[in-house]
Amino acid sequence: MNVIEAEGLEKTFTTRVKPEGLKASFASLVKPRMREVAAVKGVSFEVESGEVLAFLGPNGAGKSTTIKMLTGILAPSAGKARVLGLDPAKERLELSRYIGAVFGQRSQLWFHLPPADSFRLIGAIYEIDESDRIWRQAELVERFGLAPYMDVPVRKLSLGERIRCEIAASLLPCPQVLFLDEPTIGLDVIAKREIRLLLAEAAEVDDVTVFLTSHDIGDIEKLCKRAIIIHHGEVVVDESMKDLRHRALARKLVGVKYAEPVRFQIDGLSPVKVKAADVAGAAGIAGAAGVAGAGDGAWTAASFEVDTRCHQLPDLIRALAEKGEILDLTVEDEPLENIIAGIYGAQSGAEAAAAARPRTASAPAAPQTTAPAGEKAFS
Amino acid sequence: MTASAAVRRLGKYREVARMSARNKLRYRGNFAGSMLTYGLFVYVFSRIWAAAYAGKAGIAGYDYSMSVWYFIIAEVSVFGFGRFFWNLAEDLKSGQVAYLLAKPYGFIGYHFAQAMGQGLLDAGVIFLEGLAAGLILAGLPPNFMLWRLALVMVSLLIAGCLQFFLQMSIAMTAFWVEENAAFFWIFQKLALVVGTLLPLEFLPLWAQTAAVWTPLPSLSYAPGRIAVAASPGESLVLMGLQLAWLAAATLLSRLVFMAGHRKISIQGG
Ligand SMILES: Nc1ncnc2c1ncn2[C@@H]1O[C@H](COP(=O)(O)OP(=O)(O)OP(=O)(O)O)[C@@H](O)[C@H]1O
Ligand SMILES: [Mg+2]
Repeated sequence: MNVIEAEGLEKTFTTRVKPEGLKASFASLVKPRMREVAAVKGVSFEVESGEVLAFLGPNGAGKSTTIKMLTGILAPSAGKARVLGLDPAKERLELSRYIGAVFGQRSQLWFHLPPADSFRLIGAIYEIDESDRIWRQAELVERFGLAPYMDVPVRKLSLGERIRCEIAASLLPCPQVLFLDEPTIGLDVIAKREIRLLLAEAAEVDDVTVFLTSHDIGDIEKLCKRAIIIHHGEVVVDESMKDLRHRALARKLVGVKYAEPVRFQIDGLSPVKVKAADVAGAAGIAGAAGVAGAGDGAWTAASFEVDTRCHQLPDLIRALAEKGEILDLTVEDEPLENIIAGIYGAQSGAEAAAAARPRTASAPAAPQTTAPAGEKAFS
Repeated sequence: MTASAAVRRLGKYREVARMSARNKLRYRGNFAGSMLTYGLFVYVFSRIWAAAYAGKAGIAGYDYSMSVWYFIIAEVSVFGFGRFFWNLAEDLKSGQVAYLLAKPYGFIGYHFAQAMGQGLLDAGVIFLEGLAAGLILAGLPPNFMLWRLALVMVSLLIAGCLQFFLQMSIAMTAFWVEENAAFFWIFQKLALVVGTLLPLEFLPLWAQTAAVWTPLPSLSYAPGRIAVAASPGESLVLMGLQLAWLAAATLLSRLVFMAGHRKISIQGG
């Protein structure tokens, strides 16, 4: 069963342009200049009951805006949304009984009062029987390890402790869908891991559908079964985590370091980065032309981006071993982050969709400008 | 709806009010600022009145003691309920509305409960301070009777609710215009002149006539007048008017919300 359906969802904000200078300010009082920002341009997707979904996209892609439309906080400019069979814009109040929302950058807890007070208030707001609430709260306090914090004013909690309370508070009324907008923002590695585990547990134990946005690839890899990537207000990727990860696995980063300078060429595969033997050629860093030029010189080290669908890894390594005495050889999976960075780097929705398509076997592996691998010094 | 469901539905607002009160009570310093300012205002005004009444028995039907007591009661409405706007505007402008809209309660009802939870505390504290200050500065009011005290409290309560719905309506203009503090500023100044600083009877006739067509006299004048001058009959008329304006303001805030909430654009996040 689909719990969330979005069909051509659009949101255009009209904002007033604030002019500079006094004269222009007066002019704008009479005739304000308006600017339209298309935050979300026709987004369609479906989420099934029980799914844990990552909703990704670079800053300003329209993720928060989409969540606000799905929760009924913002009215869409065009298109339709259904959550649990309800129209969020028209049936916001009814819908709010069955969904929860956590906005990582805001708080639903009363800042100066202990979380226990906010929990009681939430119980009253959702019209939960007092005895049910106490029972449910005890369970969540236990699961989320909140016992030491329940009686401390929220302002005295650390960010990680507070977010744990926020998520537990959202789960108190047993929502069927939980929207989380960047719940792990600003958390350390351990706190992030805890939040992920707790969310995974919630999806399992409470049978809640989780709709999560995050900029943390770890959140997504560890937690989500499916990813939707939006960019420039459009959906560019909608596939299972397995497929997305598969793309990453198909590409390997192979680094090699020789004892003596070597000189060679491998058909159809050019290094993304080399370390030239002579200092003059050392400028050869990633960038197709530069690398090709460096191919004439001698190297002591190089790294290759290998698409395993067109090159057999063992063949490549055998070829490399024949060229000289190898000091060091590394083979790494391309991080999922690189794949996503490639999609995020695109200038338009269409270009992003193109970047998102799996590369065809014949295409040469182009060096990636955004790849962190290109920044690492290779020695 | 069954009775218990109705109780529960109202119970959530009571719980919001209680939270808000607890939030206000978390340390006593929260009251110090307004108590100090109020005390100072009352003292300064009593001195001004003393000077104005030098050699005069009455002005526009009020004697010295009545004028001082009038000011004390009229200002309770301002100090207790006069600053809801800022919290409301803050909630509307910051993205906090996102949370407020995503929960199963009435948007206006929630804010009403929140405002009243702390407003009643504020007003109560100021009221007690006012009673003490009045007894010291002017003695018992001239025609003091217990029914007056009771009606003043009810009238102040209605004034507080009216303050809320008017300020809420002004705050919700944020759905259309970003900088709406100017509207509140105008409202505040008008309310100050019309019936807070001075009883209505002190104003020029045209202003008195005009004021009758606004809710402003229901904010401070009604409780002030009931405290010192009104007969039982006039008191009931004043309170009836207050209730009528309260009904109108409640409706107005509903209409503003219905017309505007789809225009809402939530900042940030
Ligand atoms: N209230 C608003 N008024 C005008 N423009 C807005 C408003 N809210 C968002 N926008 C614009 O809409 C676009 C999408 O914003 P949104 O907050 O949905 O992005 P996001 O994907 O959540 O980004 P981030 O990852 O940075 O949180 C941005 O270009 C933003 O400037
Ligand atoms: Mg966002």
